[in-house]
Amino acid sequence: MLGEAVRSIGANVSTTVAATMTVLIGMFLLGLFIAFATYAHSWSDHVKDELVVKVFFDRETLPRNVEAVRVKLESDSRVKRIEFVSADKALEIMRQTRPDLFDTELPYNPLGPAYTVIPNRAEDTEGIAASLKPRPSGVHNVTYGEEKAKRILKVANVINSIFLLAGLILLVASTILIANTIRLSIFSRRREIEVMKLVGATNWFVRGPFMLEGLLCGLVGSVLAVILLFLSKEVALPSIIPRLDSGPGVQAIAFWANALILLGIGLLLGAAGSGLTLRRFLRV
Amino acid sequence: MTAVQETTLVTDPPAEALEPELPQRDGAAVAAARAMIVFENVHKVYKPNVIALEGASFVIEKGEFVFLVGPSGSGKSTMVRLLLKELEPTSGTIVVGGRDLGRLRRSKVPQLRRNIGCVFQDFKLLPGRSTAENVAYALKVQGEGRNAIRRKVPEVLNMVGLAHKANSFPDELSGGEQQRVSIARAFVNHPPLLVCDEPTGNLDPDTSVGIMQLLYRINRSGTTVVMATHDREMVDKMRRRVIALEDGRIARDERRGGYTSE
Repeated sequence: MLGEAVRSIGANVSTTVAATMTVLIGMFLLGLFIAFATYAHSWSDHVKDELVVKVFFDRETLPRNVEAVRVKLESDSRVKRIEFVSADKALEIMRQTRPDLFDTELPYNPLGPAYTVIPNRAEDTEGIAASLKPRPSGVHNVTYGEEKAKRILKVANVINSIFLLAGLILLVASTILIANTIRLSIFSRRREIEVMKLVGATNWFVRGPFMLEGLLCGLVGSVLAVILLFLSKEVALPSIIPRLDSGPGVQAIAFWANALILLGIGLLLGAAGSGLTLRRFLRV
Repeated sequence: MTAVQETTLVTDPPAEALEPELPQRDGAAVAAARAMIVFENVHKVYKPNVIALEGASFVIEKGEFVFLVGPSGSGKSTMVRLLLKELEPTSGTIVVGGRDLGRLRRSKVPQLRRNIGCVFQDFKLLPGRSTAENVAYALKVQGEGRNAIRRKVPEVLNMVGLAHKANSFPDELSGGEQQRVSIARAFVNHPPLLVCDEPTGNLDPDTSVGIMQLLYRINRSGTTVVMATHDREMVDKMRRRVIALEDGRIARDERRGGYTSE
């Protein structure tokens, strides 16, 4: 069967090359897209991670009150983690972030202890903050970034849905493109298929080499796309990366994973594409 | 022709794969079981309302040589395509080698076709494959091993007189040679039935004689041959059974007939 497939590739070089090129283009675009989309997703996750609820206690609050709030927050399923920030630590952090406020030495620490509440989902910050209303005793204030939080969530959601939509369009477009090229190549050989059927070939006997050929086209096309992506990554990324102000932990999908996805999709499209397109011509 | 008749064909006996499996109910069934082809009141209507066959009934026994004659559009090709289950009859029953085609499942159609050699006016060779590969394809299709292919292909190419063109491609062969390749492909399995649709339609008279001799030899080896043709001279010379079609009806069925009734 491999022999049959290789023979048919040799005998139909132009259509095979066309099919391979379409796979190459489709997979290259898809690869670029996956890289950017995962980067954007990672960025929006990173931004969302900064959305937390802060519970500030009175300076002279009793440990009992602090404990009561902790128990209440820990029983909330929306809460992922609670970090205790002692008054001294809070002062330390403030000294670092706002040195202008510390021109003169403070006579005492004006801050109380605080909790940083990290939610499971960034969208839950508002709800968690609301659950602490009315303020429990000893709590000075509860904040969750209000307006800023809403804007960040909105931008992250827009970015995610734009990429999802674009990805869907790209996938459908490249599927149609590849299917069309395969249909063309099979259409030019429909008489051959008819003869095979008349001589007593089963559908699978006819289909096998065509699918294998599609598989090879898919493989070669996606391998070329991966190589092209790798080259563009090596050439283009060093000049782009410094300009992206993304913060730590934000990164696109690993290159090998992206390559694996492309290979898988390329193979699937090639084989399934020719297998399905053949069905019409096998009715002899 | 006499020279041809004396030639004996050195081949295996015809495959018995089409042996009937009918239950022995009554006399008719037994008769049908002995027949190679049974058409029973077969109608074929193409959409929209083009009648190709109208109530065709006949029986072709094993080992017969039968001409199907008639003008273009009289239903000859339809009959051939019905035999291969390329088409389904609108009504009526067709039995080939004991198999009721109406009840034959789609998945069994390749099996049926492997037991019917077919030869067409336009040869239907696979382009880009050499003579030997074209013949070998009919064997590969049924999963024959490499050794069997290596043995059977030269044998049948010898029979059709094309051993020296085994590595030529269809576009390097003359029409007559291409038709010989197609006959070799049809016969390499030694099918019990050979169906030909105007095999000499594209060939000059001399070449046609050669093709007919070949078909005659194949028939002498025990293979039933059904041949749709326009070739008046050939039919008149051979004096075989003639089934004449006119507008989809069987106009004539003679044991040793000519192209036209006398």
